[in-house]
Amino acid sequence: MINMIETLISGITYSSLLSLMALGITLLYRTTKVPNFAHASFVVFGIYTSYTLALLGYNPYLGTLLGFIVSGIIALILFYALLEPLRRRKSSIFILMMATLTYDILMFGIINIYADYLQTTFKIPARNVYLAPQDFTLIGLKGVTIVSTSLLIVLLMLLYILLNRTIIGAALRAVMENPSLAQANGINVSLMLALSWFLAGGLAGVAGALLPMYMMTDPSTGMLLIAPMFCASILGGLEQIYGAPLGGFILGLATTVLVSWLSGVIGYWIMTYSLMVPYITLIITLIFIPRGVVSIILKR
Amino acid sequence: MFDVIILFITDLLAFFGIYLMLNTALNIERGYAGIPNFGLLFSYAGGAYITGHLTAKIAILLTGAKVEADPITQPVSALMVLNPILASNPLISIALLIIILLIGASFGALLGLIQLGPAIRLREDYLAITLLALGEVMNYIAIAYKPFINGSLGVQVPDVFSWIGSRYRFYLATGIILLIAFILYIYAEFLGRTPLGRAMKAIRENEIAAVSLGKSLTRYRAIAMIIGSAFTGVAGSLWTLYSGAITPTLQRFDWTFLPWLMIFLGGIGNNLGVALGTFIFVLINRLIIFNKHLLAGVLPFDIVWFDYISLGLIMGLILIYRPQGILPEKPYIPKNIRRKIVVSRSQE
Repeated sequence: MINMIETLISGITYSSLLSLMALGITLLYRTTKVPNFAHASFVVFGIYTSYTLALLGYNPYLGTLLGFIVSGIIALILFYALLEPLRRRKSSIFILMMATLTYDILMFGIINIYADYLQTTFKIPARNVYLAPQDFTLIGLKGVTIVSTSLLIVLLMLLYILLNRTIIGAALRAVMENPSLAQANGINVSLMLALSWFLAGGLAGVAGALLPMYMMTDPSTGMLLIAPMFCASILGGLEQIYGAPLGGFILGLATTVLVSWLSGVIGYWIMTYSLMVPYITLIITLIFIPRGVVSIILKR
Repeated sequence: MFDVIILFITDLLAFFGIYLMLNTALNIERGYAGIPNFGLLFSYAGGAYITGHLTAKIAILLTGAKVEADPITQPVSALMVLNPILASNPLISIALLIIILLIGASFGALLGLIQLGPAIRLREDYLAITLLALGEVMNYIAIAYKPFINGSLGVQVPDVFSWIGSRYRFYLATGIILLIAFILYIYAEFLGRTPLGRAMKAIRENEIAAVSLGKSLTRYRAIAMIIGSAFTGVAGSLWTLYSGAITPTLQRFDWTFLPWLMIFLGGIGNNLGVALGTFIFVLINRLIIFNKHLLAGVLPFDIVWFDYISLGLIMGLILIYRPQGILPEKPYIPKNIRRKIVVSRSQE
């Protein structure tokens, strides 16, 4: 029973982190209409921001703030260097998708060089980033659980206020609904898209900064997580921003709590197949409910 | 020095051959039929793993050798019996090679059929994500299901090239890879000129117009996917036979993303462009890896990562300045139609 509660808490932590990442993917899909493969890199830059802070002797939780800025800037570079020139040339969505993939590969090289540099200069294992031993505990809960869930709630509220209560949010929503009409009304579409990339990159950076507290990470963690991120975002529904946390929690709890419960009922061998859950879920969702769980809820 | 150069060229050509097969397959799927197959790994890994699973078993059947060890879990003792028999029997070796390649092709085609489900229904971007996810599943199955290729330990396969003598083994393997790659290339070029290939291109250009002319979307996409996946399966099979062992660690980056970058570099839809793009790409990649030791002590990082950065930069520049590739696709007009065009122009 205690084991089950522990799994549940761990599942909630994972779901919160996954939701933060998926939120960015959904936001970008709504604004730029492109599935962003470079999200993997945004997350990894977050991981190494908090790791660097921890190495320098600061509290790794400061990494959430710095990670937001670092990954936001990484996303902005992608937008201004690749996507904006391509968008101006009226390239197809497919080309934009390839561009995000290209940028991801470039950034994968850069972050690996950084990890190698840390490793040779400071003689530390920079390829196995795990900060959980430095974590604090409060009333029996791990710090990462408290921080990730509360950050998710706070950031969701801030995002809601930004989108629904400010003039910038109204402009951003206008760009999501109809970019050309928004442009005709004098909204700077390019600036609004850049804002959405900064926000999405920042959210991924926050999640990345918290990840080493939860699990063992390395430069390829982003590539491993890209499928769960897409899955959470599509499962929730790409048409609604708030579908992302919904999908994140369904998928996050399914991969942790459901699988661990099944392994007790059916047998331990099922655990070896647990890594396939996000992929299978993604495929089934896309074939049967391509508009996500939100579409079912909104229909009623 | 001379030996080193020969070694480098053999290695380069083997990689070029494998990637050429993959890229022609991708060119049929994406260049002709417009299917964004981001799940190349699915049928490639499928072909590679089924070869790892079956080669020793078929070799036992063909040679009639008495092997008590299980070829999957105890490959070393099984190969101690099988390899000498294969080395002294060129005919059996070649028969084994052909059977394995046929199995690789049919298993690849079967996996292509599985990918078809989503390929027919979904929009381009959703489809790319689905196929990407599907590609990853193959590795997890191979890791989780031990009897397939012995889990994450992987499996060694009997050597079907060793009958020529261990000195020339890699040359023979490379030659066969190049030969098969060339055959598939010619086939793809031929396919592009047939009515079948042109119907695929018509669907890629404008689905609605093609359907209104009675071309079935499902049928042509299915054919493209099956042909492409069969090619990919053969490439996977040859990769396992060439390297002599396989572990479930085939990476999405190497076997899906790189082929995509190569066909973008060369020119999607144009087979010659694809071959050129493949060659340039493999040459840069192999040169960096081959000369890795020169810079090993100088830089504080592994030079392999520089490969990723250069690939990313080249690709970014291509996407912005030359999205059609080095050699853009030229429309192919069959002779009889070309004549009609000339006649109608002269009448005007």
